Amino acid sequence: MIVPMARLRLLGPRERFDVALRCVQTLGELQLADVQHREGVSAAHLEPRTERRRTQLMRLLSDVDAAMHALGLAGPQAASGAAATVAEFARWARLAARTRTQARQLAERETALGEERALLTRYHEFLVAVAPDVRRLAGNPRLTSHAVVVPASGRAGLEGLANSLRESLGAEFSMTVHELHGGDAAVFLVLPTRFNERIEAQLSAAHVPEVPLPPEYRALPLEAAVPKMLARLIEIPAELATCRERRATLARTQGPQLVTARAAIQDWLDAAAARERTAVTTHGFTIEGWLPERAVAEFEERVTSAAGPTVIVETIAREAWGAEEVPVVLTNPRLFHPFELLIALLPLPRYGSIDPTPFVAVFFPLIFGMILGDVGYGLALGGLALLVHHRAAPDSMMRSATEIALPCSLFAIIFGVLFGEFFGDLPQRLFHLHPLVLDREKSVFAALAAAVGLGVVQIVLGLILGAITSARHDRKHALGSGVSAAMVLLVVAALLAAFKILPSALFTPSVIALLCAFPVLIFAEGIIAPVEMLATLGNVLSYARIMALGTASVMLAIVANQMVGAVGSTAVGLLFALLFHLVNFAIGVFSPAIHTLRLHYVEFFGKFYKPGGRRFQPFGHRAANPAATNTTQQVARRQP
Amino acid sequence: MITMWVALSAAAVLAVSALATAWAQSKIGTAGAAALAEKPELAGTIVILVAIPETMVILGFIVAVLIILRGGGGG
Repeated sequence: MIVPMARLRLLGPRERFDVALRCVQTLGELQLADVQHREGVSAAHLEPRTERRRTQLMRLLSDVDAAMHALGLAGPQAASGAAATVAEFARWARLAARTRTQARQLAERETALGEERALLTRYHEFLVAVAPDVRRLAGNPRLTSHAVVVPASGRAGLEGLANSLRESLGAEFSMTVHELHGGDAAVFLVLPTRFNERIEAQLSAAHVPEVPLPPEYRALPLEAAVPKMLARLIEIPAELATCRERRATLARTQGPQLVTARAAIQDWLDAAAARERTAVTTHGFTIEGWLPERAVAEFEERVTSAAGPTVIVETIAREAWGAEEVPVVLTNPRLFHPFELLIALLPLPRYGSIDPTPFVAVFFPLIFGMILGDVGYGLALGGLALLVHHRAAPDSMMRSATEIALPCSLFAIIFGVLFGEFFGDLPQRLFHLHPLVLDREKSVFAALAAAVGLGVVQIVLGLILGAITSARHDRKHALGSGVSAAMVLLVVAALLAAFKILPSALFTPSVIALLCAFPVLIFAEGIIAPVEMLATLGNVLSYARIMALGTASVMLAIVANQMVGAVGSTAVGLLFALLFHLVNFAIGVFSPAIHTLRLHYVEFFGKFYKPGGRRFQPFGHRAANPAATNTTQQVARRQP
Repeated sequence: MITMWVALSAAAVLAVSALATAWAQSKIGTAGAAALAEKPELAGTIVILVAIPETMVILGFIVAVLIILRGGGGG
């Protein structure tokens, strides 16, 4: 349900304003509302000196964020709600600047090392291939070397090139070919130093490019560059690890302080922004805001004890505010609470409308179970949900999802018993057991009737809820919703009477009542009403998907069971059947969940749900709320 | 002969409704993927939007079943 809210007004002498505002922030229970300014009343603007500090703190916040980002720290974590003094802000400014510089230098070094490693890795295969020849050559001033990479397509001509070079350069020339990945060849040429210029000209004429070494190694001869590059490749990982370790140490030592600083700065800025929403005169002040009605008495007591008896709290009458500006808080019993996750996918319901969570908590597992309707699949889903529930963190989305899955699996088991299904038709196949209520494989019409029947129930309930929601402010629309609900029931009664499921005598009265209701509907909803009525009947028919998906699910399970004995040996058939059941289970969990949600969001909610609520966001500390006992001391200490 | 026409009619109903659903889902899915790139928090809503056209194939399936059962093709 939507928690009833109250609008409060805090009044007090001007000199107690800062104390009262701090008190409200420390309590963290009131969502501030804008106070209407009249003549002689204005917002509590900051003094020029404090305004300058706000600018400085905004810059500091940006510095702290940059430092945290450079250290790879996630979003701000709750620290302590302790007071911050000017000296502390100054210390944090120095800390943020220092840490940001250090972290940025380390990050830049890491990037440079990463790039260097990537570059050298590209040469690695070539370097390893030519390294033995290069080592042999080192220390011999009479000989020089060249390294080229010949593409796979040009390898055929290598032998001819070697012969021609040997003839022109003499016996001291040697050529070694190393196969590279992808078919290319690394060619290492050794020749007397005096022929250096000639070989360069010949290579150039033959369009064979020399391997371009990284810029810092280009000045060195190959026999000096190759060992250096290989050694560097070994050194880089250690240097990278050192950089990362230093950054981790920086995050470990400075991170908590930065998080605390961020919370305190944000607190200060929040308080400064809150002043704009209040009103002050020469002698007094007003702060207005929202909080849950049930918390009013305790809030009053806390404010009085923390801000002093001169600050009073009054409740503004309900007539003085409109529902559209009220923030929304949802509260539901423990059992229904996980289903708020499904409501969170939509915009919040407007204050004064109906919270659909309890209805979703009842109908979602029911419809899901009706579609899946299999004891075996239900047990598998329940087991899986229990396993994940055990491992999921408390209050996590995953925990809530498993808490939704558990009742769904329970209903799947219940409907599985009623439909006589355990991994499809295994009970009939193995033990000749028959369904208790409905055989979904054969009684398609009965399954369709049950699905549409559930649709009638949910749509009529939706229309009734719509009438209740509208009754307060739009009686004509409420009448329209009520008449629509009655007409849906009359259509159903007329159809049942026509097919002799109900006594035939009911047909004529039902049709007459429908004809009488029609003008009332047009009066209430306008000329578009007949189209909307048809759409409502279409919504009811949309519930036929419960039967369609259920039949598809049971048919797939039956096909899986038929595989045993139909495909080669029993073992192979069993394996195929298990695989097919696994696929059917995955489809059987995903598909009903999506379609049940759709039935709720589109068909059911369309009749009564009023989106547009604002989330309740009380004004408080970004950090953990301090204990109430400390309130007075903290309020006294902290002055923006 | 009648059984063949019943089977063909049921197949045609299912095929046409499946194609219509596929076409609609392709359009919604494309737009949904584009929206998700900018607003990942819309994932839930988009999954539901993609599921909306499935009504067509589901109703097609039901009509096909009715054709088979009522038309005497159910054996």
